[in-house]
Amino acid sequence: MSHLHEEKPGNRRLCMGNEAIVRGALEAGVAVAAGYPGTPASEIIETLSALAGPMNLYVEWSVNEKVALEVASSASFAGLRSLAVMKQPGLNVASDYLLHLSGSGTRGGMVLVSADDPGALSSVNEGETRPYAKLMEVPLLEPGDFQEAKEMTVWAFELSETIRNVVLLRTVTRLSHASGTVVMGELPETEKQARFKHDGFIIDPMEGVVMSPPVEWKHSQQQEKLKQAQALFETSPFNTYEGPDAPELLIITSSVCTLYCKEAVALLDVGERVGILKLGTTWPLPEKWVKKHLATSDTVLVVEEVLPFLEGEIKILAAESVAEIGAKTFYGKKEGSLPTTGEMNPDRVVAALSTILGVEYIGQEAAYAQRANEISFAGAPNREATFCPGCPHRASFWSINTALSMDNRNGFVCGDIGCYSMAVLPAGFSTLKTLHAMGSGTGVASGFGKLSPFGMDQSVVAVCGDSTFFHSVLPPLVNAIHHQSDLTLIVLDNSGTAMTGFQSHPGLAANAMGEIAAVIDIPTVCQALGARVKVADPFEVMKTRELLLGLLDEKGVKVLVLKQACALSPEKKHSKAWEMTIDESICLGDTCGCNRFCTRIFACPGLVWDKEKGKAHIDEVVCTGCGVCAEICPVGAIGKGRAEKKGKKRASGGEVSHLES
Amino acid sequence: MQVRGGKALVSEVQEKGLCVDCGGCVGLCPYFRSHRGRVAMLFDCGLDEGRCHAHCPKVEVDLDAVSRQIPGVPYTEAPAGYFRRMVKTRAGEKMVGRAPYQNGGTVSSLLALAFDSGLIDAAALTDREGLIPRPRVVTDVAGVLACASSKYMASPTVSAVHEAIAAGFQRIAFVGTPCQATSVGQMRCQIPGHSENGPIALTIGLFCTWALDARALTSMASAEMDLQAITGMDVPPPPASVFSFKTQNGSVDIPLERVREAIPEGCRICPDMTAEFTDLSVGALEGDTTWNSLICRTAAGEALFDAALKKGYLEAAPMDPAQAAGLLKASAVKKARAMARAREEGLLNNAEGASALRVEPAVVDRILGGTGQ
Ligand SMILES: Cc1cc2nc3c(=O)[nH]c(=O)nc-3n(C[C@H](O)[C@H](O)[C@H](O)COP(=O)(O)OP(=O)(O)OC[C@H]3O[C@@H](n4cnc5c(N)ncnc54)[C@H](O)[C@@H]3O)c2cc1C
Ligand code: SF4
Ligand code: SF4
Repeated sequence: MSHLHEEKPGNRRLCMGNEAIVRGALEAGVAVAAGYPGTPASEIIETLSALAGPMNLYVEWSVNEKVALEVASSASFAGLRSLAVMKQPGLNVASDYLLHLSGSGTRGGMVLVSADDPGALSSVNEGETRPYAKLMEVPLLEPGDFQEAKEMTVWAFELSETIRNVVLLRTVTRLSHASGTVVMGELPETEKQARFKHDGFIIDPMEGVVMSPPVEWKHSQQQEKLKQAQALFETSPFNTYEGPDAPELLIITSSVCTLYCKEAVALLDVGERVGILKLGTTWPLPEKWVKKHLATSDTVLVVEEVLPFLEGEIKILAAESVAEIGAKTFYGKKEGSLPTTGEMNPDRVVAALSTILGVEYIGQEAAYAQRANEISFAGAPNREATFCPGCPHRASFWSINTALSMDNRNGFVCGDIGCYSMAVLPAGFSTLKTLHAMGSGTGVASGFGKLSPFGMDQSVVAVCGDSTFFHSVLPPLVNAIHHQSDLTLIVLDNSGTAMTGFQSHPGLAANAMGEIAAVIDIPTVCQALGARVKVADPFEVMKTRELLLGLLDEKGVKVLVLKQACALSPEKKHSKAWEMTIDESICLGDTCGCNRFCTRIFACPGLVWDKEKGKAHIDEVVCTGCGVCAEICPVGAIGKGRAEKKGKKRASGGEVSHLES
Repeated sequence: MQVRGGKALVSEVQEKGLCVDCGGCVGLCPYFRSHRGRVAMLFDCGLDEGRCHAHCPKVEVDLDAVSRQIPGVPYTEAPAGYFRRMVKTRAGEKMVGRAPYQNGGTVSSLLALAFDSGLIDAAALTDREGLIPRPRVVTDVAGVLACASSKYMASPTVSAVHEAIAAGFQRIAFVGTPCQATSVGQMRCQIPGHSENGPIALTIGLFCTWALDARALTSMASAEMDLQAITGMDVPPPPASVFSFKTQNGSVDIPLERVREAIPEGCRICPDMTAEFTDLSVGALEGDTTWNSLICRTAAGEALFDAALKKGYLEAAPMDPAQAAGLLKASAVKKARAMARAREEGLLNNAEGASALRVEPAVVDRILGGTGQ
């Protein structure tokens, strides 16, 4: 299959929602794109970075979302079209700049793509993008299918240039990650010329100073432009109606919920009674158009994901226009037909519709559903969420957990978002005790570390990943050092933004486009800030624990960098550092002195308990040969030998040397 | 003897504040660890019975069973336990001045002879780093001399016995306080597949009224002195009423009543002052602490003492009857106080639930009635 940028106009291609957005940006002639990895948005920058050469783009993984928005905006100030991409929690990070940016306005077309994750399929919250449009007074577009994702992206750039402000495009997991057919459009032959004009009259929007003051004047300009967008929305082809002229029930919806509504109406066969008003331009509302449709029915159901944002706006509009359109009965989240948490789906819409319309719907007989539920799990092994075999995080948290137990001061770890968030679970020995935003572990620990005057005598530890370190750990680390807080920060450096797919970050020697980049060394940075710094290999668990125990005893801010690449990293995958073996004559099994320490407590999936023999054994297919379990076995029954291509020479040394025969 | 698992040990001893960090549960498995003078269970071992619980001197100690194991007689109200001989001793010409002994150097001298004569191939002793006690397995006289002098901190010394056994030593000596000796005594009731005494060839007990929590003592002392400069410590006899640190810059005294705050709760229910479950017991001689009081309890212990005299390792003299009486009196007071406290706290002969001590009720009555004095 040809690459996305090689598709000819009119070609049909199966595209992920994120790819459709990328094609839209290319068709719009985007020049610069910047973002920070985060599911479900990551593929947009990833795909663009691969096309940077042939399409003459500059693409970067920025250090965080605020910087991504800043970087993208500079291109707009220089007259280029630009794209900023992030998942919703990143929009919170970027929001400070977004308020300033929407106040200053933009020049070249600029689109901010923010991806929501309703139901938190790969997030620790289900944050909302939509209220930001209202808060920041910028237009909001929400594609309802894959084709629209592309078309809307193209149009968003045009809109941005019309109103000279940033346009927010909201996608959700089910659009970003699902695939559908998209018909390709023209790729422009644009000349990308960057020049920042700043010598004009100070408040000239295209040649003056880019800023939000004079605030009242600029603010009113911004609102005027928003009205202009609203006027364009009134006739936008992204807003559609399907159904009878005077429906008994009017569904108002947007985004992928449109598909769920269509499916529900078809399943209940109520197409003659129900109309679906689908909004693609959700903020500001195309009021006249919505009012026109509200007038056609007395009963309204608003279908949207998570919070009742649309519902609230529609109700305000209906209240304002009651004399014109009459009183309405509203169904939705406030009234309770639909939940205010989790993902929307056809079942939920069906349930709401059948109650409102009094239509009975039997999808599956209860007995059948139960039986189906039973057998669908029957053959499946019961698995807990856990770290991969050979994951450095398992080793790191083993050392951290046991060090804190030995330290015996009821110490705890403050964390944030990454694969290591799983350390709240037994996979990480339930070591993590606070879990919030990127970098928050360090900020929270900075505060805990100042509570000793109030009697707190517990050891305080924070963890962060290497990418997170650059993203948002630096300010709280500086804060902690400046205020002489007592804490130990552990940087779990697995050499990449592992959770989202090994995107580059400032600690690595290559950027998103694969070019050479300057490496920023985490230990050197921490040292320069004034922290006491140690570096260790987390696979050397005993040494790591000793180091950590030493640091826990010291006052002030200490940093321990645990450096070991992710087991799935491209350089490690499919290679074993060690060939592991278990000497069954030494293994204590389930007797006093061990009781299956390796399989029951350390619990790497590569270690298997052989019930019949009462001994542990290595699953050679799963084992990645990290060698950590050799150090963990209390009697040295687990041996590690060099995994050399030719022959099996076993290395001797340390705790296991007496095993070698 | 009732034996339960690791989790029970945590709830019945550690969570009740009774742990004296003897190390009886440490070094047997990957679950119990001692760090800076505190023992912690790292993970739940999931077993219902374990050696940790069996060894612990603060839960389900059947004093009679241990006494029958060593020195080999039933447990009675005798204040200093069963013994054959009580004398005063100090290092003989072969040993004098070879290390900064705590008192007369009797302990180190006996160990030196035990190594020289091949009686033992390893010894589980106690060293220190700052004010943190460090159990050590030593294999020669140089190691013995390096560990001379008392560390008044509660120390996981028994873990060094486990370490020596795991390393395969066959004739192991152990020196320790009464709680540690009780732990080793219970271990000898347990070791399956070994001869009567297993690989333990010699046990030397130290007299003890209390030990100090290493972390509490560390934080107390670090405010007053450089911990690295400490060369020794002592509890000078009354009326001094201080705890005395010897440092490179002279001695630093801390009032005894302040230091007492660092005594672990577990010491308060300890009925043993003279380490009754050993071959020999050694303490400071009342009135002249350059000498030791020595108690020979077993035939093996007495034979080692005799050889030490003959070969110039030790010098001995009869003990003044008043000093002997004073020692017995002090032992009886500790025993009675501990039994009373244990009973008060519901830790003695509990019918239901865990008990720290199990003792024949008639013996308890005699101890509390003072008939043993
Ligand atoms: C905590 C503690 C409390 C004591 N209380 C008293 C008391 O109240 N009355 C009394 O008469 N004597 C007491 N002693 C004993 C006394 O301090 C001397 O150890 C004893 O007199 C032997 O002297 P020495 O010169 O023969 O010892 P040395 O020849 O100097 O040898 C001392 C030996 O003690 C061992 N040791 C040191 N510290 C510890 C420890 N924390 N745990 C286990 N073993 C250790 C060393 O391994 C060494 O082998 C106590 C000892 C300790 C450790
Ligand atoms: S930790 Fe060692 S002794 Fe215990 S089950 Fe595993 S291999 Fe066997
Ligand atoms: S007293 Fe000794 S055996 Fe008992 S819990 Fe404490 S260290 Fe372990």
